[in-house]
Amino acid sequence: MIPFLTYPLAMIALAAVPALAAIYLLRNQFRRRPVSSLVLWRFQVQSKAGGAKVNRLQLPLLFFLEMLVLVLLVVAASGPQWKLPQSARPLIVVLDDSISLRAQRDGVSAQARAKEFLEKLFRQQPPPSTRLILAGAEPRSLGPTAKSWREVNELLPQWKCWSSATALDAAITLASEIGRQQANILVLTDRKPASEANSNPRLEWHAFGLPLDNVAFVNASRTAFGDQDRCLLEVANFSGSAHSTPLLVQTSSNAVQRSLLQLGAHESQRIVFNIPATAPALHATLGTDALAEDNDIQLLPQFRHRVRVQVALTNESLAALVTRTLDATGLRAALSSNPELVINETGAVAGSNSWSLCWTGADATNAYTGPFIVDTSHPAAAGINLAGVIWSAATTTNAPSEVPVILAGNIPLLSVREDTLGRMHLTANLNPELSTLQNTPDWPILFWNILNWRIAEMPGLKESNARLGAEVFLKCAGAPATVTLPDGTKNSFPKTGGELALETPLPGIYSVALGTTTNQFAVNLLAADESDLSADASGHWGKWSESTEHRLVESSVVWIFGLLALGLLTTHLYLVATGKGGG
Amino acid sequence: MDDLLRQALRDGEQLGMRYALQIPQVAASGWTGSRSGRRAGSSIDFQDYREYQPGDDLRFIDWGIYARTDRLTVKLFREEVTPHLDLILDGSRSMNLAQTAKASAVAQLAALLATSAVNAQCTQAVWLSGEGFQRLPNDTLPPSAWDKLELASLRTPEQSYEILPPKFRRLGVRVLVSDLLWPGDPLHLLRRLRDGAASLFVIQLLAREDVTPPEHGNLRVVDSETGAESEIYIDSGIAKQYAENLAQLQQSWSDACRQCGAHMTTVIAEDLADSLGELEALQLLMPA
Repeated sequence: MIPFLTYPLAMIALAAVPALAAIYLLRNQFRRRPVSSLVLWRFQVQSKAGGAKVNRLQLPLLFFLEMLVLVLLVVAASGPQWKLPQSARPLIVVLDDSISLRAQRDGVSAQARAKEFLEKLFRQQPPPSTRLILAGAEPRSLGPTAKSWREVNELLPQWKCWSSATALDAAITLASEIGRQQANILVLTDRKPASEANSNPRLEWHAFGLPLDNVAFVNASRTAFGDQDRCLLEVANFSGSAHSTPLLVQTSSNAVQRSLLQLGAHESQRIVFNIPATAPALHATLGTDALAEDNDIQLLPQFRHRVRVQVALTNESLAALVTRTLDATGLRAALSSNPELVINETGAVAGSNSWSLCWTGADATNAYTGPFIVDTSHPAAAGINLAGVIWSAATTTNAPSEVPVILAGNIPLLSVREDTLGRMHLTANLNPELSTLQNTPDWPILFWNILNWRIAEMPGLKESNARLGAEVFLKCAGAPATVTLPDGTKNSFPKTGGELALETPLPGIYSVALGTTTNQFAVNLLAADESDLSADASGHWGKWSESTEHRLVESSVVWIFGLLALGLLTTHLYLVATGKGGG
Repeated sequence: MDDLLRQALRDGEQLGMRYALQIPQVAASGWTGSRSGRRAGSSIDFQDYREYQPGDDLRFIDWGIYARTDRLTVKLFREEVTPHLDLILDGSRSMNLAQTAKASAVAQLAALLATSAVNAQCTQAVWLSGEGFQRLPNDTLPPSAWDKLELASLRTPEQSYEILPPKFRRLGVRVLVSDLLWPGDPLHLLRRLRDGAASLFVIQLLAREDVTPPEHGNLRVVDSETGAESEIYIDSGIAKQYAENLAQLQQSWSDACRQCGAHMTTVIAEDLADSLGELEALQLLMPA
């Protein structure tokens, strides 16, 4: 630790001390000049109030304080330095963000042990700069380069370990690209590397995991099953010995099932049961073990979307046929008002939310036996085959704004038009009396497709349960959306007509407010790879090469003199403010 | 709107008659219009044949070929598009710096660009920052008919964007005219301006007083937007540092532009007429 001055000539500036007295005698005269912005004047801008204070410093005691400050600043300007040992290379830390790091033994998690190690490393061998990379499902850089442990510590709260997968390899590749073979890479995880032979001399791998027994939910679903909801829970034992764990399944405060699961080594069990569709969120819990996060799941009722269809066909036999088919799909809702699909012979719609299916060709006598051209990528025509079908249709051509979906030669049989409000208008060119379409499986498929397409274009959520990390899609239809995460964070999205893909970074219940309606969906941690703690390990692999790892770095102590000067200036300010400066 | 700005709009309109906006190739996409685009589309100009693929529009199947070969083939036509210019003007007070030609230059430059856009058969929209971004009244008419071009806002364009962002047309050419003199990361704003644009041009318009280091002596500098004052003694070191600060600010904008694929140039308000060559070099304008 050898102190020395970087710029000894700066001491000449001490000559400024006598000049200070002279400055007191001068009264500053300022010319006024309007400028575009003060942003370019930031280097030495003094506020107007500051200027006023300078005027009050014409007091003997304050003068000596200022002189002392001046001396300290001159010494600081001369750049006093100590030589301290420091790592020569920048450091890139890859942080495993997977949930398995939350597993605890004796109340201490692998994440806490890793943090402690990192702090110790900084105390012993502080790197000149540090960058943190979070290895979640995708690698992500955490903020800017940090210069000290304090800055690193400010970034570490973003390391939450809520990811259901870890892309360590991709994160190490990213670190290598950022470091350009110059930076040391430190991996903090709970597992050993895939290959223990480390060929990268710049990589150190530290694992802080412990092989722990764990029982977890690995699958859970709740699907519509007639008037009821069918639930499936799969529980797995990831330890090498048999375990028993209590399972409590409840909806609201009513316990549905309470049992003791006996699971052999590496065994999983599936529990399937039905609950009423009207039951609220189902909550299932396992007994306490090393990883608490995978012992709880919540399943919300499946959305049962239905379409309000108005059949306004004047042909009674066709109306009866269509009504019967619609009822068979199970996707039709009872019609009260505001139909979402109108089926008629005129193409008229009822309301701004209504699609139409216009029936033409009722008097057609031309029958087509194919070949039919079906745009199977269109949602209205998925799965339609038309093999052996006789389709009677009027000889016509489609309007320029209509997109044909099913054609016989150049005769459109089913076509679609979108209007300026985004509503779809389908035209079916079919005379059922001379056709066989209604006697084939293509007939109910066509109606199911149309209703399902209408449901898909309705605003709101499509699914009520998702796995942690999966994207949940939300159709907005021009309304602003606000998503409330389980931790209370709110994300607002402005008005958009498209579909939003919502991230699910935390398990729990998400609330989605879309316009005036609010819906919820549940996100559960269901990640067998992360729940399996049997492969967790502790230890370190690889070592940064020794050459030029340490060097004596000139460490500036300007800050000490700066602090002293600041203390004196605070005293100065106090004296000025209280009027005790003397004189 | 004062007579000086109205006259500047007329001058800019005159000047713009000599130029046409250069339309980048990417901008030749989007709304149906009067220019040939780079992609296949729905005009009547035949372009090519291609084998039918699921998802193709069945209207474009060539039934003659189908009858002869029993293979579905679709016809491709050249698309027709109307390119579009979104002109974004910084309406803050600093653009109307007293005793400089900045305000006139803003109006002149805006009128020049709008006129050159018309010469290139572009549609246009002029956005002025203030309490949010608002379109200038009559901005689709010739510049001499524009109204309410008032450079009196206390907010930076970035703050205005937060209050009410402009509704840009997709794949349009966007031009930002500002002095860029506000603190903060320029990348944030540039990314949002660049999003969905065919190209983005940033024109930094400065007064000569903005670029010339001030003379020696005591100075009380007054922020034209906030009215904040600061007293400072100017010496050669401070003057040099001022120039460095300006260079650093310009460099940060230049880097940010490079990062998001925008083009940037600096124009001195008093030398606007001599700077049009730089706009040609930037491939924003070309002789009509």
